[in-house]
Amino acid sequence: MKFLEDIILKLGAVDRRVIFILIGLAVLIPLLTPISLPVRETPTTVKFYDGIDNIPKNSKVLVSFDYGPSTRPEIHPMNVGVLRHMLRNGHQIYISCLWPDGIYMALDALEEITNEVNPDNVSTFDIKEYEDYILLGYRPGAEAVIKGLASDLRKVYTVDANGNFIDDIEMMDGIKNLNDFAYIYSGSAGYPGTFEWVKYGGDPTGVPMSSGTTSVQVNEVIPYVQTGQLIGLLAGMPGAAEYEKLINVPGIAIQGMAAQSFAHIVIVLFIVFGNLAFFLKQRRDRKY
Amino acid sequence: MSFSAVLGAWIAAFLTLGIFSYLYRDNPFYKIAEHVFVGVSAAYVAAISFWTQIYPNLFGRLFPKDGPLAFTGLEFDFNHEFNILYLFPMLLGVMMLISVFQQFNWMARWGIAYTVAIAAGLKAFGYLNSNVLNQVKASSVDIFSGSLPFFSLNGDSVFNNIVLVVGTLSALMYFYFSKEQTGNFGRFTRLGIYFLMVSFGASFGFAVMGRISLLVGRFNDLIEYSSADYNYATLGVLVFIIVTLGFWSFQNPEQKEN
Repeated sequence: MKFLEDIILKLGAVDRRVIFILIGLAVLIPLLTPISLPVRETPTTVKFYDGIDNIPKNSKVLVSFDYGPSTRPEIHPMNVGVLRHMLRNGHQIYISCLWPDGIYMALDALEEITNEVNPDNVSTFDIKEYEDYILLGYRPGAEAVIKGLASDLRKVYTVDANGNFIDDIEMMDGIKNLNDFAYIYSGSAGYPGTFEWVKYGGDPTGVPMSSGTTSVQVNEVIPYVQTGQLIGLLAGMPGAAEYEKLINVPGIAIQGMAAQSFAHIVIVLFIVFGNLAFFLKQRRDRKY
Repeated sequence: MSFSAVLGAWIAAFLTLGIFSYLYRDNPFYKIAEHVFVGVSAAYVAAISFWTQIYPNLFGRLFPKDGPLAFTGLEFDFNHEFNILYLFPMLLGVMMLISVFQQFNWMARWGIAYTVAIAAGLKAFGYLNSNVLNQVKASSVDIFSGSLPFFSLNGDSVFNNIVLVVGTLSALMYFYFSKEQTGNFGRFTRLGIYFLMVSFGASFGFAVMGRISLLVGRFNDLIEYSSADYNYATLGVLVFIIVTLGFWSFQNPEQKEN
């Protein structure tokens, strides 16, 4: 018994760099040798999927890329999935960005979808700019931009991301403000993002909206799902993996879930050993 | 693979591994990556803000083509009409910039005051409507609704409604400090602490999950850059950093315990 206690005490006092290495290996090994773990959909993800699936076909939808490279692993798979899902249903997609580097995330996502081909080498989505989507681009101003979009989109966006006049683009005909969209989606990594879209976009206009967020934000955003202010939510990488499963296009999020699971096991084990070591040390200190 | 793609991969691998090297200890590679990140981010945001907002939306409205200020020689054609009101934001912006000179630093207060007032007004409405009223409304549930099952893991149920009401009230009561938290009231507020702890635990779990997701993302990129297509960028940079750090540690033994 004493031997076991000594081992636990040693594990509790292990150098933090050893823990970093173990977590690194727990993430790296499943990525190098892919392991397939089951993914089960949660109700918020199913609600999210249903929300997008229930948009009337061939609608105009606003997709906002509110993240950058730092949070790309979590949000990008969601946004690519959302674009796929919306394009399948024939929607016209209007892309805005509240983050300056969101525009490059949007370009990456569009390129990924454009290059996607079926097994018979035919393009999955034969998408064309100004017919299927328009990249409005980034505007600084956070909630002020959303307020502007809610009242008059053309005051915020004079030109699109390519520098073409909004008034000259046929796809923009009939679009005056957020009320002209059937749905709003924000892939958000923080401020400005989901909170601002709910407060100044979705709630004041009544346009149905949903969001995909980083794991860190989930606890704060999830009340909006319960109130119906958001129609479902994609919660971090697990949410993205569940969504990939629902739209039947396995991608990088599903691949990453095995690494997630192994890293969590390592972290939980160290939390358990750390606590055990703490209590054992306290007991021994009392004894002597 | 183009030269720029390979070069980009080498830079990305260097910056990523430079940041990771901080896990060993503070070192020059980490400092380089940190400073590059801060500098590039600030410059990028400044440039993109100018070209996407100030240039078309401010200059475009103050100096439209054939506008009243065309005589200045400045003309920006963005299909806008002249709008003199846009002089005010430009003036406030200039006043904020001029504050770099000591004798004019009072000027920045006007711009800041305007920004704070606008932000306060915007946020007050947003919070009240979306966070307070809607959340209070959603918390007002019919606890013993006959149409609900007693227990459900996923949807509405009598049990879930009881947890919602008790959890909300007890957590709120914990922050009521006008009455000493003893006796039955103390036990009730203690229940509130447990609800708060569960919430904090969930937040911590989500935060860990988020960080691991980001690590997965970086590793995915590093694995990709370790291929022959990128001239083994990851491996090259990794060996370089390890060897240099090892040599550096050997040269500076007194910093080892920092």
